[in-house]
Amino acid sequence: MKLPPALARFREILGLALIFAAAVIFSPTGSGGENIFLQPDNLTDILRQQAEIGIIALAMTLVIISGGIDLSVGSLLAFVASLTALLLVKWQPALGPAAHITVALLAALASAFLLGFLNGAVIARLRLQPFIATLATMIGVRGLARWMCDNANIDFGFGGHVSARFADIFSDKLFVIGLWAAAAAFFYVLLEYTVFGRHVRAVGENERTAGYTGLPIRFTKVAVYSLCGLAAGVAGLIHAARSYQGNPNDGSAYELDAIAAVVIGGTALSGGKGSIPGTIIGALIMGVLTNILRLRLIDTNVEFMIKAVIIVAAVWLQSPRKAR
Amino acid sequence: MPPPSSITCRALTKRFDRTLALDAVDFSVNAGEVHALCGENGAGKSTLARILAGVVTPDSGTISVGGVPAEITTPARARELGIGIVFQELDLFNGLSVAENMALGHPDAERFFVRRRALAAWCRPFLARVGLPELDPASPLGSHGIATAQLVAIARALALNARFLLLDEPTSSLTEEAADRLLALVSELKNTGTGIVYVSHKMREIFRVADRVTVLRDGSLVSTKPARDTSIGETVSLMVGRAIDTSARMTTAPRDAIALRLDNLSTRRVRGVSLSVRRGEIVGVAGLVGSGRSALGKALFGMEPWTDGSATLAGEPYRPRSPADAILSGCAYLPEDRRGQGLFLQTSVRHNASAAILCRLRRGPFVRRWQETKLVRDELARTRAKVPSLAAPVSALSGGNQQKVLLAKWLLTRPALLYLDDPTRGVDIGAKADVYKIIAELSAAGTAILLASSEMPELLRLSHRILVLHEGRPAGLLDAATATQEQIMALATDTARQPAGNSATRQPAASSQS
Repeated sequence: MKLPPALARFREILGLALIFAAAVIFSPTGSGGENIFLQPDNLTDILRQQAEIGIIALAMTLVIISGGIDLSVGSLLAFVASLTALLLVKWQPALGPAAHITVALLAALASAFLLGFLNGAVIARLRLQPFIATLATMIGVRGLARWMCDNANIDFGFGGHVSARFADIFSDKLFVIGLWAAAAAFFYVLLEYTVFGRHVRAVGENERTAGYTGLPIRFTKVAVYSLCGLAAGVAGLIHAARSYQGNPNDGSAYELDAIAAVVIGGTALSGGKGSIPGTIIGALIMGVLTNILRLRLIDTNVEFMIKAVIIVAAVWLQSPRKAR
Repeated sequence: MPPPSSITCRALTKRFDRTLALDAVDFSVNAGEVHALCGENGAGKSTLARILAGVVTPDSGTISVGGVPAEITTPARARELGIGIVFQELDLFNGLSVAENMALGHPDAERFFVRRRALAAWCRPFLARVGLPELDPASPLGSHGIATAQLVAIARALALNARFLLLDEPTSSLTEEAADRLLALVSELKNTGTGIVYVSHKMREIFRVADRVTVLRDGSLVSTKPARDTSIGETVSLMVGRAIDTSARMTTAPRDAIALRLDNLSTRRVRGVSLSVRRGEIVGVAGLVGSGRSALGKALFGMEPWTDGSATLAGEPYRPRSPADAILSGCAYLPEDRRGQGLFLQTSVRHNASAAILCRLRRGPFVRRWQETKLVRDELARTRAKVPSLAAPVSALSGGNQQKVLLAKWLLTRPALLYLDDPTRGVDIGAKADVYKIIAELSAAGTAILLASSEMPELLRLSHRILVLHEGRPAGLLDAATATQEQIMALATDTARQPAGNSATRQPAASSQS
């Protein structure tokens, strides 16, 4: 039995609905008897909290559909957060605050893009396996970030300091959620309606056939890893603003959370198959789960255990009937 | 006779998705008998063999072994019942030694630790039985040829105490001499009481060893006859369902304009091919496996660097550096391995068919879906592909319809030169006829076609001329109207070497050496 695509999509939404319903039921109630989980502030908090992982997971979806994986995103996030902090706090150019922020932001994003490009180049040109190439980047960039900051956190300033202004913008709830939504729209259109999106799926499903079809395999690979680097960079900016510092040790295991969101969303690790809406749902499932467990003051370690079960259950439910 | 040692299947039925792979088939094999199983691709031979091996479970029907009803649910169960199977794609491990391969999964031979010496002693008698007494059990299997591996696979089945042996195309990758030895072994095993199911395409082999011959067609049992009461001719026509007419040639006269001119084209695997193909002309490419049939196509399609030579395509100098380059210049290559090289199996018909022309369908970064739908629909109609919807994955289609989608994909590039590499491989008779019609239509419309095929009747029927390759070199260029299979075979095997030397230029003036 195979479900038609429309119903298959429904299945992922169903998972989110179930978790959401459970969250409503188990939510603590406030002094006025109101459901704390359902408070608008709480719901938008979930979106804000998941935005970093969510944005990375969008690009990770493309990487995984193309048949690859990117383990370096957590390190890249830390690197960008640190670099941004460095440029805002330790660098005093003769520029106005707006120009200073713009330059710092563009420099940080450009370096994230370049590191992603490097991943892609090593994978497409040297033909290293994506796991190994991005593992190397993950280790190397972590080192680079720590070395750059002398192992110390770089704290943002207060008051009218340029770093504080930056943090004001990039930690604004609406701005962050809007950024995620814009990224989601961008990646959705890219994957579903463009020639490039077709190429990504084709390369991921069967690289040999893609070669025999004359598709630009190398360009496609380099492009998905570059985009993934860029997405990790954007997440890094949000991270720096939220934590009010550049911490070169942050972002570890983010790559795993992003991959988890992608696979919960129905994207196959073997490549070729997957969707952006699925990934968004995957990120939201993880977000709602974390939120309700924290509202109930449940131990974070228990949270990990429950997440493990959710990942296995979600992927199992999405596997074709025959494989079960 | 008390429970005769035999396997008897009654009314076996198996359905995969939409296709009925086996339809109420009765089949039996007795001890000391060779029962041949014939049929075209997709007739149900492999499904029946896989049911007996416990790899596939039938939807309905019964199997009894030695008179006792048996459910063969797993390969291990088949082994317990004394059924051994040697698959066409050998399930052996090249990195392990001969002895280790034989011991895998064997309850007597496999312990927690590998005991080399005991293992070697254990497997020697079985190797001797298949005619390999000298083979060193400790040597890695990969260091021996495919023929040895085939025999080791049989020895392995014997070691597992097989009273029944299923051989699936056992000689398909063997030389004639090795095939002879294998057939002798089959007769010998039969005489010592083993029941053998012999699946093969090769009629001569079948009639050399088989006692009974069963023909399947489209999943149904057509006939089971003692081999001495039937003939090769009868079996073939039963397999096909009608007498095949290979005589009717389907060619139209080519035009005068030259589409492709090759001058001494050479790559790593092709040497010195010179040829000119006119618009609307079909040049067959014949040769044994590894003769350069596919390599020539890949060279023309920009997949292999040219080491020497030059070409013009539609009047322009032609030297493709990549497939994308070749497509732009008007060359298309339909690869031999439809599933591995031609199609994206899990992807929709629409996306498969338009994959090679996306660059022509783009507006900015976007795909013009409306135009895509129209082009794909029209082309699928032209190739007579039956598809449930454009959104259906091509894996849901039959082999013939998959091939038609693949043809549509390449025809959409509007090629001036089309290289077809075994275009009817693994498609049923009906689809084959459609593919022939499409090729004839393309030729009539002026497309220059190079048609590589392993089926000589196909080449003789469709081509104007036939280029025969031998070890990457042109061994002859024949006029298809007068050429014979024997002539092609002699050139392909290099047994017809003429003292005159360069045979490529020796051929009739019918060829357009203009």
